[in-house]
Amino acid sequence: MSSNQHFDLAIIGAGPAGMSAAVEASKNNLKVLVLDDQPAVGGQVYRQIDRNYPKNKELFFLGEDYWLGKKLVDDFKHSSTELLSESRVWQITQDKHIFFSRKGLAHQVQADYILISTGATERPMPIPGWTLPGVMSVGGAQTLLKSNNSGADGAVFAGSGPLFYLTIWQYLNAGFKVGAVIDTAPGRLSWSHFLWALPALLQLSLLLRGLRWKSHIRKNTKYFSEVRSVSISGQSAAKSVSFIDKYGEKKKLNTSHVFLHQGVVPNVNLTMATGLKHYWCPRQLCWHPETNIYGESSLEGIFVAGDGSGIAGASAAILAGKTAAKRIVQYSRRPPIFITWLSKLKRYKHVAARPFLDNLFRPPKEWRVPLEDETIVCRCEGLKKTDISSAISLGVTGPNQLKSFCRAGMGRCQGRMCGLTIQQMIADNNNLPEKDIGYFRLRPPIRPLTVGELASLADDNVLAK
Amino acid sequence: MTMSSQSNKVVVIGGGIQGCATAFFLAKRGQNVTLIEKDRIGRHASGVNAGGVRRLGRDILEIPLSLAAMDIWQNLYQEIGEYAEDFHPCFYLKVAVDEAGRELGLMRATNLREAGFKHEVWVEDDVIQTRLPHLSTPTHGGLIVEGDGWATPWRIVQGFANAAKKNGAKIIEDCYVKSLTQSQGLWQIQTPKGIYEAETVVNCAGAWAADIARSADDYIFPLESFAPMLVVTERRPKILPAVMGVLSHTLSLKQLKTGQFVIGGGVRSKANHLINKSDVDLPKLSSSMKLASKLFPEIENAQVIRCWSGIEGYMPDELPIIGRGRQHGLFHGFGFSAHGFQLGPGVGEALADLVMGQQPRISLEAFRPNRFMS
Repeated sequence: MSSNQHFDLAIIGAGPAGMSAAVEASKNNLKVLVLDDQPAVGGQVYRQIDRNYPKNKELFFLGEDYWLGKKLVDDFKHSSTELLSESRVWQITQDKHIFFSRKGLAHQVQADYILISTGATERPMPIPGWTLPGVMSVGGAQTLLKSNNSGADGAVFAGSGPLFYLTIWQYLNAGFKVGAVIDTAPGRLSWSHFLWALPALLQLSLLLRGLRWKSHIRKNTKYFSEVRSVSISGQSAAKSVSFIDKYGEKKKLNTSHVFLHQGVVPNVNLTMATGLKHYWCPRQLCWHPETNIYGESSLEGIFVAGDGSGIAGASAAILAGKTAAKRIVQYSRRPPIFITWLSKLKRYKHVAARPFLDNLFRPPKEWRVPLEDETIVCRCEGLKKTDISSAISLGVTGPNQLKSFCRAGMGRCQGRMCGLTIQQMIADNNNLPEKDIGYFRLRPPIRPLTVGELASLADDNVLAK
Repeated sequence: MTMSSQSNKVVVIGGGIQGCATAFFLAKRGQNVTLIEKDRIGRHASGVNAGGVRRLGRDILEIPLSLAAMDIWQNLYQEIGEYAEDFHPCFYLKVAVDEAGRELGLMRATNLREAGFKHEVWVEDDVIQTRLPHLSTPTHGGLIVEGDGWATPWRIVQGFANAAKKNGAKIIEDCYVKSLTQSQGLWQIQTPKGIYEAETVVNCAGAWAADIARSADDYIFPLESFAPMLVVTERRPKILPAVMGVLSHTLSLKQLKTGQFVIGGGVRSKANHLINKSDVDLPKLSSSMKLASKLFPEIENAQVIRCWSGIEGYMPDELPIIGRGRQHGLFHGFGFSAHGFQLGPGVGEALADLVMGQQPRISLEAFRPNRFMS
């Protein structure tokens, strides 16, 4: 692509929000570019749908919700949007230059508006043995299922949350044997659960589907509920999972594959590194970029839509993408207040069940901060909980200061794996709410970038002899 | 809340390398010192710079100070104990990759020899190739200083802060200066943690130092803030035993004990010291990356894992301000324009001399605070 091309709208991420925004904007004659880091569009939820669709009889187990994405992908493909797949965006400047790497070279483009729709990422579940080969996230297991129809017979699933049940249900329907399901959701429900259940009834079909998955799983797997103290052991790879069941009995299951999940959180690496304002969402226990109903962020002309602005699911993301695109098309005109209210109302039926689900699957601290001193917290630097707590006890008040003391969060993942855990640990040590602790200062490059790729941006005559 | 009952003889403002070294040398000589820092020790440029401990390439006016500082670096263990282990002397090499660089370097070598300096000398390509066997390209010669090296900057600053504390200095963090005024021969330093009184104030506030001076009704300093940038790569096999630069190009390159490369060299991004904000703008580093991968093709495929910057104060002539202010009992040590880390210990010693009314062992004439006054 020629350097420094200009677009009306550049969209980062071709998931439900990004695709629907692109469809809407190009329908209104905007010149749109979509940068997506995968080889095929769809995001995590509609991953590889184009390739899988002709085999939809055979792959029926991916579920109706998955196949619904086909129409969106078709609309997107038929739109005038320019798509650059396998593009890793590593920096957005506030004057809306976007830098990305593609096939070993770095490029830049400029846009009047930018929509960041980079979706969600799984919350890490730091338990003993979580870094052993053979252990991965439930989302990773689902990716393999969608991309190659591959899976591991006898795998043990540990965790909770909607994606947890959905993936096990898909696994069973795909014909894989599930070793056991270790459900970590706390059993006791409080009044607030019932209170939030009332509005959730507006999304009754979603709730019923969840119940159907769960009862299917209970019937067809070795299922343990209200489990505590999960740990994985093995010398060089996972060999077994141990836990305490709800009757207080110690259990040990042999398995070479363990899939972990504690829900998803917005992937804020790009939004934070771009300098957007974020706030702490206590209900979802994670950071959200500040946006209004149209997805407008704290920086003029930069929008965020989809799960990247708060976990709300695919249907809400499709609507959010469309709403943001409509706003961008008419940017010079401030929307009248009733339109704003109408947008909020429209969105509500896609998110009515969210507070209920958030409360139901809110991960207890045990799954966010390891109980055992010897458990790894920062994978990149190989730091155990004890290394980090002793650094914190030297008087550390925030994650950025902690870096100087023990290098936590300074590896290649930029804290994606340890950030929330470390924030919680500092909050606990200093007896302050999480929101006051803050998060790692995220900086470009937020995606892998080699020295050579960055060098490719330089003038060739820089070294003329 | 006031603390006016606590009269401190000397208050040092700023917990960077200059402030911490100054507080250390004053405390070591028995002075009653309090250091106040608006954020935390080593939070800004002092803690996050490239850590170059180099005499190489210094402005000729700065060399005596740099040499005096090096004497302290070479005996750092005596001063700051185990923190000194984070200083790694090796050699510093600035190579020429083109004729322009060679000319520049040869001229400099002649000037240095004529001025009587022996630490920095010209070497030809054959020497460079032996010292750097992994270098992939012939050079046009270069300048070398044996014994220069690099340090983990945050550890060294922390080391001076701790050593100052051990010698009785008080260090107050998260304490910014609201105003600095003089009454009846005593400085009144207003902070959110109360009022500090002092006979002498040393202004080592880095990018914030001109604001401090203005508050004290001292000189108006033409100080500007920028954010010099650095990147670090993933770990790679060891190939580079020196710190490297390139004559007439912007590059500084070294390889840490972990095998990670740190690449930078004077490329600045925007900074706003008033709101503690510094940007990183990676594309600006692309030429440095190109140079680094030309010198060592092994670097080309290394992944950049982090880019950072710190807020630094720059003077128009890129020389620091060190010396007595216009107001009685006020001293300055700032404006190091991104090359003050190595000078730190020397500056600390010189400022301690000045505060105690002694003659520093080197001339500070080139750094006089009033040099921008008409």
